[in-house]
Amino acid sequence: MQFIIAGVGGQGILFASRVLGHVALSRGLHVNGSEVHGMSQRGGSVISHFKMGSYASPLVRAGEADILLAFEQGEGLRNFHFLKKRGAAVVNADRPEAFSDPDLSAFLEAREIRLFRVKGYDLLREKMGGRFLFLNALVLGALAASGAGDFRPGELRDAVAELAPARFREDNLRAFDLGFEALSRGE
Amino acid sequence: MNTRKVLLGNEAIARGLIESGCDVITAYPGTPSSEILPAAAAFADELGTKTVVEWGANEKVALEVALGATFAGKRACAVMKQVGLNVAMDPFMSAAHFQLEGGMIVIVSDDPGCHASQDDQDSRGLALFAKIPCFDPSSAEEARAMVFSAFELSEKHKVMAMLRPAVRIDHCRQDIEPGEVSHASAPANFKTRPAGHKVVMPARILPFLEAHNARFEAIRQEFETEFGQYNFEIPSKKPASLGVIAGGVSFAIVKDLVEALGRDDVAILKIGTPVPLPTKRVEDFLARHERTLVLEETFPVIENQVVDRTKIMGRWNGWVPKEGELVPEVIESVLLRALGVEPEADPALESLAAAREKLKLAVKKPVLCAGCGHRPSYFAIRKAFPDAVIASDIGCYSLSIQQQAVDTIVCMGASITVASGLCCAWRSEGAEPQRPVFATLGDSTFFHNGMTGLATAVYNRHPFVLAIMDNRITAMTGGQDHPGTGDKPRRNETGTSVDLEGAVRGCGVKYVKVLEAYDVEGNLETIREAWAYAKEQGEPAVLVFRHPCVTMLKARPEKRPVTVDTQKCVGCRICQDRFGCPGLAWDGENRKAFIDGRFCVDCGVCVSACPHGAIVRIGEVR
Repeated sequence: MQFIIAGVGGQGILFASRVLGHVALSRGLHVNGSEVHGMSQRGGSVISHFKMGSYASPLVRAGEADILLAFEQGEGLRNFHFLKKRGAAVVNADRPEAFSDPDLSAFLEAREIRLFRVKGYDLLREKMGGRFLFLNALVLGALAASGAGDFRPGELRDAVAELAPARFREDNLRAFDLGFEALSRGE
Repeated sequence: MNTRKVLLGNEAIARGLIESGCDVITAYPGTPSSEILPAAAAFADELGTKTVVEWGANEKVALEVALGATFAGKRACAVMKQVGLNVAMDPFMSAAHFQLEGGMIVIVSDDPGCHASQDDQDSRGLALFAKIPCFDPSSAEEARAMVFSAFELSEKHKVMAMLRPAVRIDHCRQDIEPGEVSHASAPANFKTRPAGHKVVMPARILPFLEAHNARFEAIRQEFETEFGQYNFEIPSKKPASLGVIAGGVSFAIVKDLVEALGRDDVAILKIGTPVPLPTKRVEDFLARHERTLVLEETFPVIENQVVDRTKIMGRWNGWVPKEGELVPEVIESVLLRALGVEPEADPALESLAAAREKLKLAVKKPVLCAGCGHRPSYFAIRKAFPDAVIASDIGCYSLSIQQQAVDTIVCMGASITVASGLCCAWRSEGAEPQRPVFATLGDSTFFHNGMTGLATAVYNRHPFVLAIMDNRITAMTGGQDHPGTGDKPRRNETGTSVDLEGAVRGCGVKYVKVLEAYDVEGNLETIREAWAYAKEQGEPAVLVFRHPCVTMLKARPEKRPVTVDTQKCVGCRICQDRFGCPGLAWDGENRKAFIDGRFCVDCGVCVSACPHGAIVRIGEVR
């Protein structure tokens, strides 16, 4: 299974790939992926490649990703070409009008992309006092609710609980649950 | 129980260094190599070794310290990025020409695609130039194993060896099986005899060159017959219609690609030891295939070591692009073209491209963090002297280019020397500088390569202002210590903090003032005074803009929340184009600035960025 995680530097993309790595290892699968460190972390566009299973290359090839996690809507849309046919995208969406673009719809239909949108910024603003630091956990929660990737119930949540620094564990789990519940309710 | 651990490529290399009993590890941080040294310190702490793990002020220092340790028979390693090797080139070439007593590795991380570098130079080429062996890993696990091999080879032939991971190996994350420490060096012992053994002098070097060439050829022979774990073939199931020779991450990519495409007619030769190239292995492979694609990053190092390139489809004949990273999409297109497969047009991708165009989805460039002290420092210099030439340097502050406050960047420390050169340009006409001249660099860059330039400027009486952007850390590479911080990588070890202003005064500077970087209004007067001093006295003046890096803060800073008074905001965009904070966004519809709560850290500094007083404090300081 191959993932692309897209966002901007500082959104905790590396934490998300560590969570997926933890899950893979506990399933007895190999882990391979590629991260961005250094200059691009300063608020610039960042994508992380992540694979579970037997792969030699850390990089996902365009058209091969099973799942795209987008911490930023624009960064997600810029990287939709990574998705394979019937791939799934979990997007922190803040500008719904973009999805009514006919060309974008044509792409999504042609590739049969399963699109899951969650209003991460609104949820964090309303429910967690605007602590956007926890967006990564929220998106992982939405991923768990989406059914994409066939994660076992609790599998991702447990990994978040295990990897989050102790003082932020509760907040991370709260954000995870916000994402999970929002998508489950179909908001 | 699963004992495998998911490690960053750089952590796997660090693990290899500690497990192979490396006694002394030195480095200067530089993406993509920066995580190796801190990880080595962490593993040394975990495994309880006595390994010395130290930052050098620059790569030349780091390499020389490592070399010195080998003179006493210890295993040593210096770590740097590819352009760092340029800084260390002098000791690198000398070290290559010794018969070393302890094993020595230089780890040089390359950056194909220039993700965080000023060029895409290929360090394997410098190993070839120095006639030392080079290992080029294709995975994290292999990089770790190669550390062991490089030390053994280094000790066997008494030669420095290079491990050259490129960015995709440094920053891959893979599961590996960690081991234990499996080697111990003999007690430190500097042998004075034979005399001159550790001296680079013409009288010793000239007769030594023959032995140096001979050991290079002996290593080539070993790469031909041994090291099958790094150099091996993946034969095709059916008779091969194409051969591929690949090294580094390109091997990993092409291996997965051939499998994914289900091509059972492509044979692959992996080369993990490109220097010196096991030429017979390669020539034998070439002889068995009609055509062979060569995939390597970034320079044709394997390709150029082959005498007869007629059957090679590579860079020499345009099959492989000469520039840019060999990402999977590029390798796919090269491979398919070589196999004579026409690429299929995908209308879905055309729709996506059209949508992207309409939605204006540009790549976001990195910016200084909200609350960064560099932003108000540059803003104040530009405000005081709109016509100043500002020579900048390598570090986070190079991002101030978007504040239109950076006019030149060359290499580490070159802000000071370029400012000197500008002064000389006017001096060559018998004139004083016709525009204010400023040099700007960070604290870590100052200790790296700033002091020699500053002493030269004092000596030659160059009138400019040097602004040292002191955030008390090496920030761009992720927050590493340096002589100014005094902290060291290993737990329970402390160093001595070198006084920055003292170092500046030691270079002969008489005008030194320390400023709080956040205080834009208060600093304007001092900036003008410093330039007046430099011009009148005909010598450099130094301002230290001090504010700790916001990503490294240990205590919570004071909160000074602000808002934009939309009545007063005239939409002049000065705050956007000259200050440019992620927390201060632009409402294109209403043509007004607004505070973006997602990114604002409530530092309150932008109040002084607005000439119309439209950015105002809310309530009291908290």
